[in-house]
Amino acid sequence: MTTEPNTAPKMTARGVNVFYGDKQAIDDVSIDVYRDHVTAFIGPSGCGKSTFLRTLNRMNDTVAGARVTGDIRLDGEDIYAPEMDVVQLRARVGMVFQKPNPFPKSIFDNVAYGPKIHGLATSKSELEGIVESALTRAGLWGEVKDRLQDSGTALSGGQQQRLCIARAIAVDPETVLMDEPCSALDPIATAKIEELIHELRGRYAIVIVTHNMQQAARVSQRTAFFHLGKIVEYGATTDIFTNPREERTKDYITGRYG
Amino acid sequence: MNNAPASPPVGAAASVESRWASPEMRARIRRRYGAERRFKAVGLIAVLMSVGFLAFLLGTMAWSGLSGFSQTRVALPVDFRGSGLSIDASSMTKAEAMAALNQQGLGDLLQLSATSAYGAQGESYFGTAAKESAAAAIYDDPSMLQRQVELALPATSPIDVAAKGEGDAASEAAVARLEAAGKLSSGLDTTFLSSADATDPTVAGIWGALKGSLLTMLVTLALAFPVGVLAAVYLEEYAPKNRLTDIIEVSINNLAAVPSIIFGLLALALFINAFGLCQGSPLVGGLTLALMTMPVIVIAGRNAIKAVPPSIRDAALGVGASRVQVVFHHVLPLALPGILTGTIIGMARALGETAPLLLVGMRAFVGGTPDGLCSSATVLPMQIFLWSDEVDRGFVENTSTAIIVLLIVLLSMNAAAIILRNRFEKRW
Repeated sequence: MTTEPNTAPKMTARGVNVFYGDKQAIDDVSIDVYRDHVTAFIGPSGCGKSTFLRTLNRMNDTVAGARVTGDIRLDGEDIYAPEMDVVQLRARVGMVFQKPNPFPKSIFDNVAYGPKIHGLATSKSELEGIVESALTRAGLWGEVKDRLQDSGTALSGGQQQRLCIARAIAVDPETVLMDEPCSALDPIATAKIEELIHELRGRYAIVIVTHNMQQAARVSQRTAFFHLGKIVEYGATTDIFTNPREERTKDYITGRYG
Repeated sequence: MNNAPASPPVGAAASVESRWASPEMRARIRRRYGAERRFKAVGLIAVLMSVGFLAFLLGTMAWSGLSGFSQTRVALPVDFRGSGLSIDASSMTKAEAMAALNQQGLGDLLQLSATSAYGAQGESYFGTAAKESAAAAIYDDPSMLQRQVELALPATSPIDVAAKGEGDAASEAAVARLEAAGKLSSGLDTTFLSSADATDPTVAGIWGALKGSLLTMLVTLALAFPVGVLAAVYLEEYAPKNRLTDIIEVSINNLAAVPSIIFGLLALALFINAFGLCQGSPLVGGLTLALMTMPVIVIAGRNAIKAVPPSIRDAALGVGASRVQVVFHHVLPLALPGILTGTIIGMARALGETAPLLLVGMRAFVGGTPDGLCSSATVLPMQIFLWSDEVDRGFVENTSTAIIVLLIVLLSMNAAAIILRNRFEKRW
């Protein structure tokens, strides 16, 4: 496991501030996200890690009164530039949410929705191929291949979350953002998702927000510790957890607050 | 344990137990159960009361209205030989044939036959309805013009009412005589279901008003549903939240509460005086009711759209759906059951509305069935209103029967709403 990246960063953020109305939620955050690495955001509740995650695919645009300043680039392209198409951006930077949120449609339609609206498949058989490969990569194909027409909401919580991951990767994104994907799941389902993150690493740049420090240690190669809207420390996961430079990081990791 | 002090020291196990078992606590528990029992009883009484009122309403309507679907017929022997009546059934339409028979003196022949069969008062047994019925029978079987037949013809209103038990003394006596002679019969009143308003209650029917209502509802739905839903979508999904949209929201809520007669005045000024649209037609009536129904649909639609969980919007935006795609692929399908329920409630209210239609000229006597959106028409509640003003006993029955028809239309609309809602409802 390499601890220092040797490729150019997939996404870069420089001096990012986020305001909700008058309240500043993110204060001067700069970070690089690498394609071959899973990047974990940890920190106490309300520290801004989810807010920052949502700036990476401009999901904050839908929040009334939210304002983002600073510079965020995907492969060197400014994603807040006026000519950036936000619909395309969100296809390139996929997202998995805290609570599994499959559409109340069939399993097949859930996964096929993204490819359909982006015109990624020219025929029905091609679409079926995309759905199968996405479900396979999400580790769900074996469990649902005989009931693709069942409702996605009828699956168990863990299966629903893997369905959401399949839905996100079906449009072949470059980056996948995961906002506490396991917080609503039991330990077995959590283990499956973590395994899945391991398998997806290298194919997509993955950013995961988590409350669970063991999970950050298990799945990520790089970790950023957020506190009060700022990044306190960002580096290789092994360094953060074994040898933190900052006192506050050390206090949080050892459970003194958070 | 039971003789613990009123305020026991905190922390002692025995006194904590006695606190829960103290007389005050027991009284409190009794009061709590009492309150619950009282609330349940009051709720049950409320439900029973509404069920009682509904049963009373339906019972009265059925009691006095159902007989309106049947008509009393009196047998009349008619000798057509030598009457000079003739029609060419193969080349004439039914209406033409009936007009021709009238012109050739079918009415006089019937009256003559009535006098010879039942004496001088026999003339009063048969009226317009009998003439039409006889003409229709001849059209169906022209060969009867060559022989003597006995026709069972609809009786006039006094006889009909007397046969159903509410007539005046003279008619009651006549009915008793006919009954004894075995000349009375009754059957389904097809005239009532197929004809429009008339001055004679045995000829008057509900179909004109029913068709007028259906056409009016069609116009209302075609205008109010799309406009209402689109307004709801825009206000919920696109409009910025500011003072202007607040004002719009308050105005829409107020519009839904405006008395319906005011909408009638607005429609009179706007559609008839300013635009010069055809007065008293389903088009103008439908437009008027659409104005009234739109705010109801907007409010129901906004609530239904609000109830769609934001996680579904996030999910769709997260895979790169545009705002329009989010609305049409996800939000609207999930909100549809709620929107439909609101629409049906609004339409049901519009169907029963009379006041605004008074002002746009839909209260005129309309003796024909409307054949287009711009022809003169009346609607069911208006027909009920008009008939309830008539003096003839026959119209009392017609009024009740019309109410039954209106209720049936309303109930089938509500049933349609429930079926549609169940079909589109999805769980998440």
